[in-house]
Amino acid sequence: MPGEVLTETSALPAAVFLLPVLAGVIVISATRAKRALQQWISVLTMALVTGLGTWMAYRILGNVVLTTWHRELRVDALSALMVVIIGAIGLLAAVYSARYIEERMVNGPAARRTSTFYGLLMWFLGTMLWGCVTNNVIMLYVAIEATTLTSGLLVAFYWDRRALEAGYKYLMLLTIGITFALFGCVLLYASAAATNKLDGGSALLISDIRHVVQFIPGATAAITIAFLLIGFGTKAGIAPFHPWLPDAHAEAPTPISVLLSGVMIKMSLYALARTVSIFYPAWPQVTIFIVALGTFSMLLGIILALTQNDLKRLLAYSSVSQMGYVLVGIGLGTYLGCYGGLYHLLNHALCKSLLFMCVGAVMYATGARRISELGGLRNQMPITSACYFVGALALAGFPPLNGFWSKLTIYLALARAGMWWAAGIAILASILTMVVMVRAGYRVFWGNLPTGSAPPPNLKEVPARMFVPMMILAAICVLLGIYPQAPYPLLDRAAGVLATLGR
Amino acid sequence: MNPEALHTGLIETLSLTLVITSVAAVEMRRLKFSIVAYLCQALLIVGLLLSFASVNKALYWWAATALLTKAVLTPWFLFRAIRGVDDRELKPVIGFGPSAVIVALLMMSFFRLTHGKVALLAPTGMAQLEVFRTNLAVASTVFALGLYAVLTRRDAIKAVIGLCLLENGVHLSLVSLAPSLPETALFGVATEVVVTVFLLLYVIGGVRQVFGSTDTFLLRELRW
Repeated sequence: MPGEVLTETSALPAAVFLLPVLAGVIVISATRAKRALQQWISVLTMALVTGLGTWMAYRILGNVVLTTWHRELRVDALSALMVVIIGAIGLLAAVYSARYIEERMVNGPAARRTSTFYGLLMWFLGTMLWGCVTNNVIMLYVAIEATTLTSGLLVAFYWDRRALEAGYKYLMLLTIGITFALFGCVLLYASAAATNKLDGGSALLISDIRHVVQFIPGATAAITIAFLLIGFGTKAGIAPFHPWLPDAHAEAPTPISVLLSGVMIKMSLYALARTVSIFYPAWPQVTIFIVALGTFSMLLGIILALTQNDLKRLLAYSSVSQMGYVLVGIGLGTYLGCYGGLYHLLNHALCKSLLFMCVGAVMYATGARRISELGGLRNQMPITSACYFVGALALAGFPPLNGFWSKLTIYLALARAGMWWAAGIAILASILTMVVMVRAGYRVFWGNLPTGSAPPPNLKEVPARMFVPMMILAAICVLLGIYPQAPYPLLDRAAGVLATLGR
Repeated sequence: MNPEALHTGLIETLSLTLVITSVAAVEMRRLKFSIVAYLCQALLIVGLLLSFASVNKALYWWAATALLTKAVLTPWFLFRAIRGVDDRELKPVIGFGPSAVIVALLMMSFFRLTHGKVALLAPTGMAQLEVFRTNLAVASTVFALGLYAVLTRRDAIKAVIGLCLLENGVHLSLVSLAPSLPETALFGVATEVVVTVFLLLYVIGGVRQVFGSTDTFLLRELRW
């Protein structure tokens, strides 16, 4: 058990989100700059952010909490974990986008310029990082809505029929959803202030609200939890609030799909966990409701994925399913559940980013993304093929890959909490995931091309700037499977923050 | 009549007029009139904030922000979006007659519910006062009407107006729930709505170019 935690004032929490925002301003206004320069600025910024995030994580392992601006920003182990994930996946996505976007770039409306793309990409990452370091409950809403706004035009980036439809739905549905979260956040603040145990300013700070939650009247707490669940749940892609997700994840440019599925929905689940978990000690019965919602999400997501022919939509629906696992784990509120949930959050960020990159590579090389139009790519694209199967098996929880350990932890946590029904559904959804992912991979990489269609004449493996990020992610998936204890120190502390129901 | 009662009377009149502008914004078939109704609502909100500000000085800032974002920028963006095109709204899913009945039912039920059960929403002692009860009841009614418009209207521009109503509802509730919210938080919340409206209208502009209409029924290529 960690001992006394020291609070330390530091500029690092502010730096991690201001850096990308600043880089975004530079890139978006440099419309005439060389594309390579825009790309280098983005990649270097994200490398720096990842470095700072790792440094913060290292500091926090020494029992320190970093704060800035009178505790407006506060980085504990949970925030540091999120910052490292967002930084690292953002870095890999920025590297990956270098060739991917170049190929598809044409002159057109302002929304389609590379400067807009990289500028918004930086802002998107910056706002996500802001959401993870803020301690102010209203600013948490502002940051999450800001991630919607910065990514809205990125979703509609191709500016064609499908992209515009996805962009419209994305902005509209998420704004409505997140308005519920605003109401929830305001209620949380108002009821914390009404307990008269905090002064005006600190009733906004999540780290202070958690000490007075037990004094909030039950009915108000129930309404607040419902609003927060609907609001942040919409953005986290939890069924039944998920209809925006498959459209946006499938129609966005692949590097953006990587970020949407890999980190954005997690960041929103982080917000959900931060705010709802503080209610657990006083109202533990909420856990059953959240676990039920999570199991519904995991089952519905994977059943819808079964029927997909479009590779990107298949991965998107599988994200709905996998977010169910994370929600179940974190929703349990026990130490083991939170550990499993956060570990799965990390693993899903890794393998879903990897899978989206692989599908992006297939689209880059062949121009097709329907399973029925693809086949036999393993000879021409051996690296993509191998990476896909690592990601697919990791996602399905096949031992000894990383997904196995996190899912096992969640099953054990469910069993220990006596929720055998939920453990059963989780195992069933995992088997279905295996079927969906392996079947799709088999047909694309091993199966035969549909009769009557010839393979593209000069089909070859994607360039190094695309396959190197894929190989890095695949290697991490394998290594975390062999050494599941590697992220233990950070995950242990992060789970300790969320596990309000005790160890 | 003493000044205090007059003040309460003023606030209540403004609040109730607000509900009427919401109904007008939802039910008007010409988008131009609908936007004008929205503009009226925005001005009423500013007036309401000013009249509450005599009790709580922080609300002056808020009134100024609301004036800029709700009464100037948002209507300007909306008018720009319908400039040069036929501003008659596409026929909504629910016709005028049934819609009027639904709106009336929504209004009555939400107003009564919130007015009666205000303690659930606002645990503060202050919110139990009659003016704040009315304010919260109006806020939830405007919110419900906005949600109704977003869910049932076929025209994308009308859906955006519905979204603005929805946000107005939440922002109104802040007067009673979070009167001492710092300016930075207020500023963030208010700015975000304007940016959302701007981006949505920008994407809708693209939709109009590519699809030739702002009919959301055309947006059904992506299913399952």
